Amino acid sequence: MSGLSGEFVARLAAVWHRFTVPEADRETLAEMLAPMDAAGESVAAHLAFDMEPSDFDTALADLAPQRPGT
Amino acid sequence: MSEEIAFLDACETAARIKARDVSALEVAETAIRRAERLQPTLNAFISLEAEAALDAARDVDARLGRGEEIGALGGVPLAHKDMYYREGRVTTCGSKIRAGFVADRTSTALVRLAAAGALHLGGLNMSEFAVGPIGNNVHYGDCRNPWNPAHAPGGSSSGSGATVAARIVHGAMGSDTGGSIRIPSGMSGVVGFKPTQNRVSRYGLMPLSFSFDCGGPLTRTVRDAARIMDAVAGHDPKDPTSSRHPVDAYEAACDVPVKGLRIGIPSTYYYDDLDPDVAAAVAAAQQVLADAGAEMIEADVPDHEEMNLIWAAALAAEAATIHRKWLIERPQDYGDMVRRRIEFGLYQPATRYLEALSMRDTFLRDYCATAFRDCDVLLTPTLPIPAPRLADVDVGGSEDMPAVVLRISKNTRPISYLGLPALSVPCGFTGGGLPVALQLVGRPFDEATLCTVGHTYQQATDWHTRVPEIAA
Repeated sequence: MSGLSGEFVARLAAVWHRFTVPEADRETLAEMLAPMDAAGESVAAHLAFDMEPSDFDTALADLAPQRPGT
Repeated sequence: MSEEIAFLDACETAARIKARDVSALEVAETAIRRAERLQPTLNAFISLEAEAALDAARDVDARLGRGEEIGALGGVPLAHKDMYYREGRVTTCGSKIRAGFVADRTSTALVRLAAAGALHLGGLNMSEFAVGPIGNNVHYGDCRNPWNPAHAPGGSSSGSGATVAARIVHGAMGSDTGGSIRIPSGMSGVVGFKPTQNRVSRYGLMPLSFSFDCGGPLTRTVRDAARIMDAVAGHDPKDPTSSRHPVDAYEAACDVPVKGLRIGIPSTYYYDDLDPDVAAAVAAAQQVLADAGAEMIEADVPDHEEMNLIWAAALAAEAATIHRKWLIERPQDYGDMVRRRIEFGLYQPATRYLEALSMRDTFLRDYCATAFRDCDVLLTPTLPIPAPRLADVDVGGSEDMPAVVLRISKNTRPISYLGLPALSVPCGFTGGGLPVALQLVGRPFDEATLCTVGHTYQQATDWHTRVPEIAA
């Protein structure tokens, strides 16, 4: 149970973004957010203390095939 | 005047111009005539800049006349998704909000293509702000699929796929954040090349997501795509995020034998729940490559469920950051679907967003260690289904529209999160006459091997030479 509801989304929008979510969109948005929230929570469990987004660039370079002269 | 030249690929067209078998002006005039004739059917252009293209063509001919070098794409007509900025020109980004936006810079990709001699015919239709895999657009009208105008052309680079398939231009730049090059190329029956993340400069390219946006070409052949990539790839001081990794010679890689390369067929996910015609065409393509000397092996891939969801969360957070002001002040100026898809990024916690990006390295290393353990390239269907009817996937379309939209990008999304290079190549047609495509996925910065495999496949098949009836 993520606790994400249309009402919660509307409140976030109003407080964080000074923005009124149309009534018709609130539940749809909450339904879209719920699985992402669950996946994020699951993935976060694997996050180590010293990981950061720029590690990705290092990984791209590390995993590239090695050509002569590179 | 004969339009024979329109049916040649970009490399052959460049060779004919260089040999003065045909003038650049004749080629440009043919392309413009076809663009004007097919526009009512395809709605592929947002702006057609005929006079500027004709002037540029005359300049190419004059340089040839003086014995000067005209570049690898000298005189070849291209047009680009209307989100590549050109200084002093309107770039709409497929939107109402930017309908009058005059760019203050020219994108590095277009500067490099111009330096290679390519002509620029105009700005191409696209999904609003590059959001959405269908290719529809409420502001400029839907672009249409040249193989059947009742069907979606694929998005978001809809006009790029349609103009290349309809033999209007010989190539087009698109952008890909979750499949927006590969999906329209797959649905429209042309080649689409999404490079490794940061391989091509994003300077002067409308942003949707800083972390996942990639510029790349849509063309008729793999060799054409390789030639365009040779022109645009490489570090750009104006885009500090662009990679300094050495750039391979992509067109030269087309002539490397495929023999000895190991092609992995994923045992899960990518081949699940395929349309039967797609399954048959991709299976036949595997056999073609096996016959050419590649070794086909089964490849394990990690689970994609969480990866796809955190990709969507991170993309939305970045898109919402860019669009927040307009979402608040001008919500009525977005198409409904586009606004909703961007808006949910407003509700992602910053920690969740950064977790998704921080874990990208782990997912990539795990994927490469597993999927590429025993192979050089993965081969999957680009799309699990053929192009849907536009009426079924528009707002108010069929009830299963959201599911269809998600399914369209199923095989392209994970590759975007991982930042890997991917090449979509036409590999057949459904019984209903709609294109089917295969996707080749490589290790980081291994675009060259994709060129080798894709070109080998096209040398053994003729799918890429088929022309939509309306364009014949």
